[in-house]
Amino acid sequence: MSALACNPRLFVALGALGLIALVSIFAPWIAGHDPRVAAPENQLLEPSREYPFGTDLLGRDVFSRVVYGGRRTLGVALLTVVVTLLPGIAIGLAAGYAGRWFDWALMSVMDALLAFPSLLLALALVTVFGSGMVQIAFAVGIAGIPAYARVARAAVLEARTEAYVDAARAIGARPVGILARHVVPAIAMPLLSFAGVTLSWAILNSAALMFLGYGGDISAPDWGVMLADGRESFRTGPWIAAAPGVALSLTVFAINLLANSVALPLRNR
Amino acid sequence: MMAYSIRRFGSALFVAWLAMTLAFVALRWVPGDAVDATLARGGATAAEVAARREALGLNDPLWRQYGEYVLGLVQGDWGESLVTEQPVAEIIWQNIGATSALSGAALVIAVTLGVSLGIGASLGRWRPIRYGAEGLAWLALSTPVYWTATLAIYLFTIVLGILPGVGGAGVRYLILPATVLGFHTAGSIAQVTAASIRDALGQGFVRTARAKGLPEFDVLDHVLRVGMLPVVAVVALQLGFLLSGTVITEIIFVRRGLGRVLLAAIDNRDYPVVVGVVVLSALTYSAINMLADVAYRVIDPRVRMED
Repeated sequence: MSALACNPRLFVALGALGLIALVSIFAPWIAGHDPRVAAPENQLLEPSREYPFGTDLLGRDVFSRVVYGGRRTLGVALLTVVVTLLPGIAIGLAAGYAGRWFDWALMSVMDALLAFPSLLLALALVTVFGSGMVQIAFAVGIAGIPAYARVARAAVLEARTEAYVDAARAIGARPVGILARHVVPAIAMPLLSFAGVTLSWAILNSAALMFLGYGGDISAPDWGVMLADGRESFRTGPWIAAAPGVALSLTVFAINLLANSVALPLRNR
Repeated sequence: MMAYSIRRFGSALFVAWLAMTLAFVALRWVPGDAVDATLARGGATAAEVAARREALGLNDPLWRQYGEYVLGLVQGDWGESLVTEQPVAEIIWQNIGATSALSGAALVIAVTLGVSLGIGASLGRWRPIRYGAEGLAWLALSTPVYWTATLAIYLFTIVLGILPGVGGAGVRYLILPATVLGFHTAGSIAQVTAASIRDALGQGFVRTARAKGLPEFDVLDHVLRVGMLPVVAVVALQLGFLLSGTVITEIIFVRRGLGRVLLAAIDNRDYPVVVGVVVLSALTYSAINMLADVAYRVIDPRVRMED
């Protein structure tokens, strides 16, 4: 709690993220309208009491779509992070701990994958997987693995030099036991902080693929899809893109701020 | 230094080869490609599709296709589009100028803006400047290109009417897309610059310089020399992002370029074009990173000592 009091950034970041999470979880109670049902008679209404963020080209309530959109956008991003983290950590641990030719071979492949700009790699993977929410999560998630594996490996290499790891090896502990008991706890915090960076990056990239139209379901409420819809009618209804745009930026900002304020005390330690 | 450069060149070449191989193998594994799609749409019979596949060498064993592809690649033959039958090298050559202009201009904007924001956020004497620079860097980092682009077109083209929005090929048409793309990239450059300068400010030589009564201007000169070093590395890394960012920027601003080519190829499952563009960007990226690594050692002798 004292960390909260002396770190206003952490306070702001956690507050904003908590709010976004609550709104997404309780979306059905917060949104006043069905996010998918089109009502042509309500086309392009300006923001009002009934429609706080106005309506879009098909007469759907933008506020409800933003509220429900958080579920989809953040859901895809969370799945993306899982797809990145699990193999990323496993590869980083294996390469960093095994060393020698195994490390070299794994890291060469990771370097080769890193040579592809991440969004291009995700796009190429979408070609293979096809369109859809889960497909996007896997494409963006796999594209993120090499960077995460590199960070994990660097953390493992640093933890390996600790005296207690040598001591454990000297008394004959098995590698898996050493990894689980000594190395993983030592690298948990830097990995967590980088997971935050990965999450904000996952939101931006998966929303980018949604924006480009690879989400499959085009009527679904989704911040990326809404930004694409809003771009086409920005002249007549700027609120359509503004609402999801602000929501997206706010979420990414809060996550970046959180990752940054978690990393700071670590660096000063 | 020479030995390092040669070793670094070797590893860049190896990584580029591995990247090319991965791209080739991954995209040959997937079922259904442009040949099936385009010919079937044109009402071709199964026999005609089979004949076309045979002529394109798509029925050969994978290792043979790979060998021919690599042989062609080093001779400048990147295969041909399955849709238009135009050579991939020619498609790339026709579009590379527009994409290079966009990413080059965006890079200049990103570095200028990012470094000034970073210096402002870490060395700004006046509080509003410090907070303003930091806030702007956070904003840049948190707003994706596909959102700022919409805002920029609205503001500068629709409301103010001073800059052309979409389409076109002249320099005036480059201003908005390059600024939008550069702005987002400037965010991370600013953060790295600010963190690195703050790091440098806390080091012993700054105290020594101040203690011996060096004018503050000369102290800052010391700080900036050390603080700017990591920026070289981050700029090289951000170039990868710029190559990605051009895809979206080209779509939104309806500009010609490799990004549009790539997206069209993905939609058509035109694999030779996809592999060509992706391999080209991987080659560019590894070449740039190699140059950055070598440059880093030229600028900073301390890094050289670690080799």
